[in-house]
Amino acid sequence: MDTSSAGIQEPFDLIRLSLNERVFVKLRGDRELTGVLHAYDGHMNLIMSAVEETIMVVEPVEGAPHSQGSVNYVKRKMEMLFVRGDGVILVSPPSRT
Amino acid sequence: MDDDSTPPPPANDAPAPPPPALNSGSPTDFLKGVVGKRVVVRLTSGVDYRGVLSCLDGYMNIALEQTEEHVNGRVINRYGDAFIRGNNVLYISAAEAI
Amino acid sequence: MLIFSVFKTLTDQTVIVELKNDLLITGVLKSVDQFLNIRLDNIQISDEVRHPHMIAVKNCFIRGSVVRYVQIPADAVDTQLLEDATRRGSRFCYKRCPKFPD
Repeated sequence: MDTSSAGIQEPFDLIRLSLNERVFVKLRGDRELTGVLHAYDGHMNLIMSAVEETIMVVEPVEGAPHSQGSVNYVKRKMEMLFVRGDGVILVSPPSRT
Repeated sequence: MDDDSTPPPPANDAPAPPPPALNSGSPTDFLKGVVGKRVVVRLTSGVDYRGVLSCLDGYMNIALEQTEEHVNGRVINRYGDAFIRGNNVLYISAAEAI
Repeated sequence: MLIFSVFKTLTDQTVIVELKNDLLITGVLKSVDQFLNIRLDNIQISDEVRHPHMIAVKNCFIRGSVVRYVQIPADAVDTQLLEDATRRGSRFCYKRCPKFPD
């Protein structure tokens, strides 16, 4: 049952091992965060610091097929942030390879 | 019931024969069998995650290893490890024999 | 429960609540409950041109479920303490999570 990642028995173990580490978070609404994880709970509510948020905004281009408008990335920085868990899709710890 | 046909038909007197044996019946058995194997996790958004399933819990929160994020058949990201919040999961599909 | 406790320690601090409809509300955190519903005082809306109906509003109750983020003052939280509490609390959480398999 154990694979390469040292003894993970439960998905939340992955998150616990990422405390005080920079993590990548993918959110609903085409948003992504990177920041240092300090707290989480079973809902995946998060508290992170030194956060950079990237919002992907697709602007339709006149005449182009609507599937490929020009993609703009809007970035913001926040010192300390609470993230409500219901918006979380994916959390990825720093790769320790 | 007799030896008239080559493929053995389900016994008529047995109660509720199991469906054609894939591996074994229940979704739980499937999920148990697929831990440690390569899987495809599709989210309701249509995004696919391909990787090795480390573990999962009753909310279908998922830990994946060696994960590739596929959008429209293209790899757009790779993660060493990934935690996927269960509410986003549409299905988990085995990508190798279980 | 852990996050609820954190918010309780933040009462009377100025926070910025970002809602899922992109509205940003700056205000003084007056109270919070277990659902992370929030009461704010002295509020100010980030973009009053886009939300003119909010100009006259001085305080508000925000249902927890409509919150996307809360920006909190960095010096108001002890990150070491948070991490320790999370590690301890996570064991408690595991018990209440339905496990899979068995």
